[in-house]
Amino acid sequence: MIQLNNIEKYYANKGIKNYVLRLVTTTIKQGEFVSIMGPSGAGKSTLLNIIGMLEEPTYGSYEFLGEDVTSLNERKRIELYRNHIGFVFQAYHLIDEMTVYENIEAPLLYKKVGSSERASRIADLLDRFNIVAKKDLFPNQLSGGQQQLVGIARALAAQPSIILADEPTGNLQSAQAEEIMTLFKKLNQEDGITIIQVTHSEKNAQYGNRILHIADGVVKEDVAVG
Amino acid sequence: MFKLNLKIALRSLFKNKVYAAINIGGLAIGLTAFILMLLYVNHEESYDTWSPQLKDVYQVREKHSFFSPDNEDHWQEINDSRMANLVRENIPQALAVTRVTADWGFSSGYSVKIAHADPVMVTGMKDADSSFFQVFPYEFLQGDSESALNAPKSVVLKESLARKLFGTEKVLGKTLKVLMWRNDPGTDLTITGVVADPVTPQSVGFNALMRTGEEDKVPESAGNFHYCQIYTKLNQVADTGALNQSLLKIYTDYQKKSLVQRKLQYNEIYKNGKTPGLKVIPLKDVHLNPPFKLSWVEKLRPVIGISIFLLVVSIINFVNLATAQSVQRAKEVGVKKVLGVYKRELIAQFLVESALQSMISLFLCVVLIEVVLPTFNHHFNVQLSFWLNPQLKTMLIQLIGLFSVVTLLAGFYPSWVLSNYNPVAVLKGSYESGLKGVVLRNGLVVFQFVISITFIIAIGIMHRQTQFMSNKDLGFERGELVNIKTNYDESFAEKLRKIPGVQYVATTTQVMGNAFNVPEEIIYKGKQLNMNTVTVSMDALPSLGVRVLQGRLFAKTYKQDTINTVILNEAAANLIDKKPVGKSYSIKDGDKSYVFQIVGVIKNYHNEGFDKAVLPTIYKVTHLGGTSSTNNLLLRLNTSNTGEIMKKVQSEWKQAYPDYPMEYKAMDDVFADVLKENNRFINMIVLFSILSVSLSLLGLFALSTFVAKRRTKEVAVRKVLGASNLQIINLLNRSFLLLVLIANLISWPIAYILVKKWLDGFAYRIDMPVYPFLIATIVSLVVSALTVSIQARKAANGDPVHALKYE
Ligand SMILES: Nc1ncnc2c1ncn2[C@@H]1O[C@H](COP(=O)(O)OP(=O)(O)OP(=O)(O)O)[C@@H](O)[C@H]1O
Ligand SMILES: [Mg+2]
Repeated sequence: MIQLNNIEKYYANKGIKNYVLRLVTTTIKQGEFVSIMGPSGAGKSTLLNIIGMLEEPTYGSYEFLGEDVTSLNERKRIELYRNHIGFVFQAYHLIDEMTVYENIEAPLLYKKVGSSERASRIADLLDRFNIVAKKDLFPNQLSGGQQQLVGIARALAAQPSIILADEPTGNLQSAQAEEIMTLFKKLNQEDGITIIQVTHSEKNAQYGNRILHIADGVVKEDVAVG
Repeated sequence: MFKLNLKIALRSLFKNKVYAAINIGGLAIGLTAFILMLLYVNHEESYDTWSPQLKDVYQVREKHSFFSPDNEDHWQEINDSRMANLVRENIPQALAVTRVTADWGFSSGYSVKIAHADPVMVTGMKDADSSFFQVFPYEFLQGDSESALNAPKSVVLKESLARKLFGTEKVLGKTLKVLMWRNDPGTDLTITGVVADPVTPQSVGFNALMRTGEEDKVPESAGNFHYCQIYTKLNQVADTGALNQSLLKIYTDYQKKSLVQRKLQYNEIYKNGKTPGLKVIPLKDVHLNPPFKLSWVEKLRPVIGISIFLLVVSIINFVNLATAQSVQRAKEVGVKKVLGVYKRELIAQFLVESALQSMISLFLCVVLIEVVLPTFNHHFNVQLSFWLNPQLKTMLIQLIGLFSVVTLLAGFYPSWVLSNYNPVAVLKGSYESGLKGVVLRNGLVVFQFVISITFIIAIGIMHRQTQFMSNKDLGFERGELVNIKTNYDESFAEKLRKIPGVQYVATTTQVMGNAFNVPEEIIYKGKQLNMNTVTVSMDALPSLGVRVLQGRLFAKTYKQDTINTVILNEAAANLIDKKPVGKSYSIKDGDKSYVFQIVGVIKNYHNEGFDKAVLPTIYKVTHLGGTSSTNNLLLRLNTSNTGEIMKKVQSEWKQAYPDYPMEYKAMDDVFADVLKENNRFINMIVLFSILSVSLSLLGLFALSTFVAKRRTKEVAVRKVLGASNLQIINLLNRSFLLLVLIANLISWPIAYILVKKWLDGFAYRIDMPVYPFLIATIVSLVVSALTVSIQARKAANGDPVHALKYE
């Protein structure tokens, strides 16, 4: 599904190249649940952003679903966002002016899903995440864990084939974190959604089936879990 | 999708109520000023557009120096009545030519008597020859255009006047008695038609159009003139230039012949660059080009400029606040981008938001206009309406255009900034550090303040000039001086003199409010000089209370005073001789030459506004002095009990002239009228300045709120590190005050140039004062500092723990 070949990323500062990623080569297959780990500043977020096409690598090639996407035009990229990729953020990033319901609805509107289909999908998600009672509240009226649930529901609404999550539980207490991780695992196993997450917690990484250890922009270890 | 975006827009408006109110309210104010101006411009532009046939109607203009305020040649709409025949006979395209009484503006109307009712003053009674309705395509409700003026002593009424006088428009065949001056025996006119009131204003406006026969006559002797306005209907003229060329040739030939008959030399008259001139101008250009006066466009130019500026200031507020606020929406943009939204969709979304706001502003503005329109109409002496406007359709189109322009101007930049946010940066939370928009925002703040400070400086200087003018020595005593609108009549004057409290009764051709300049060329010690001459009665100069500088005033004891003595004003004395008393000059009239002796010099006295210099003038009492047609009857009272005395004067008048109402004006009021135009302008500038300054301050307030909010974390950190509240207020103030200071530096030269231009329009003016500049600077700095400090104080007093916890 994802094929990275010799991905390099550096920032030039006063003529000196500061490498963030060096010669990263890896393959992620459909249905995998990958955790990226490593010390702060190692380049984890950068790697995830490249996978999510939010940043472009300085060098190397990247194929997504068999298509070279290193320099994709806006139209193509947006199509991929609409149909294949769901993002989950550490800081949730829900839209403050929208209710829970509307936040989940937004990607469906962009995807131009019909209204009845939309309603049923949202109802389904609300039900599944146990947040039906909260659907008319605004993000600032929810707890952090609840906000992250909405964030995940939003990512799932468009029925993506892959979810990219950068420290999804970074701002949460362990009980809430566990809930989210269980949910990820379930999504991965029951719905076959590919998940790539960045995490600092060894415990969270155990929910997945593969760990990429990164240090100084280099993949040091690639281990299978469980 | 659209519905959701609209919902978001409304929610974010509600969330930021104060800024939204400032934004929308400010824009509404800017729009209101602009639309009022637009209404006024539309009104002025609509002159003479009430019929498509008017495009074939032209006004004839002759170049001459009679009646001109400076005694120079000007293109005038008041012409020798012979020009009508000249055009009719020599221009084949002329389908009809008509002569209309000149608009002298002296009398406010004529006295109209219907049967035995009391006389009423009716304004806009115009006299014309029989061709008037062949030229002007009025719609006849009663009678018809072909025959209405066929018979002399006929009159055509506008529907509105017919209703006012008779209560119906079915008035054919009824008669009116018209008295044009107070001892006019009156003319009986038969109503032969009623025309509909046109929907748009007319430069040749009338309430009643008479054919008394006055305009039919052409003076027989070549040396006599009758002056009137001339209009012609031409048969589809494509090229007025060519027509005017042949007209000029015809006129030049005519003048050569006419001057010979009058024993004058063509080459003597037309020398030193003076040339003969006769032309036609399309009727639609007439209102735009009044002779001697500033046209409405020129008068309005500063207002147009100011209202555009005001709109710009409010749009700037809008842009500034929107870009400042965009930080709050950055996350939304970032998230939407990763959810798969196109940039253009984002731009559209934010444009819709600003459209929503400008829509609300527009509604507010329509309400505001309804509220202020009566005051506006009163102030500018117009009858404008918004909903009942005959050009409502044009107006609405203009409004839609304005709405789109404002939306684009106000919304495009913020939308563009917003839609360009990089999602990675935004979602990382580092979007606030971006410098994007800051330079522009600062630039706009400076621009806004340049406008406001320029206004403040201008007000200061204009105020000084106004004070200077209202306190200026006029050269005559305007208190307890009354001018009755009528000619001098010895027996009536005698009656008035008997009233206790009346000191002098006199007449003059030149007094503030009604000055009639007559040029004359004199020969003094062999030199030819151009002078203005004024005819006065014996008592005129004492009753005006002028000051004698040399010699004496006229007096009955000097027999020669009614024959050949003159008094000069200072300006004339400066031209002639420093010590002219006792000396004499001569004038030439054809072959003959007359000698006049100078007996006195008086201080210049003003009879026009302060924009015009006092002309070098010669005062004479001729044997005609008492009876010539001056339309000024001066009454000098020696008591302040004016009301009581005027009642007695009024009853004398009623006895002498029962069919004509008396009209008079105290010279104090006349002077107030002279200042009025100027005061009106200044009041408007003051109003606009207040609006502009408050808009700028509101903008600054809102902007400082945002900056304070955005720097909450920084402020909190500094406080934790031990900064005092004052230090923090200073920190936030510094950047804004720098901007205001820069704005001051830019405004100084701009204000100087603009106000200098305005001052130069006055012949009598103050020197450019310095202190308004300093005051503007101090005021702007202090007020801005206070405005910003309100927010800065809030930020400084905030609880740092709170700010740091929820960064
Ligand atoms: N715009 C930039 N300019 C220069 N250097 C950058 C830029 N963005 C990131 N970096 C550098 O890239 C390196 C990797 O950053 P990245 O955010 O990927 O780290 P991370 O592994 O996610 O760390 P953390 O666990 O703290 O989130 C860091 O050393 C950072 O300084
Ligand atoms: Mg990171």
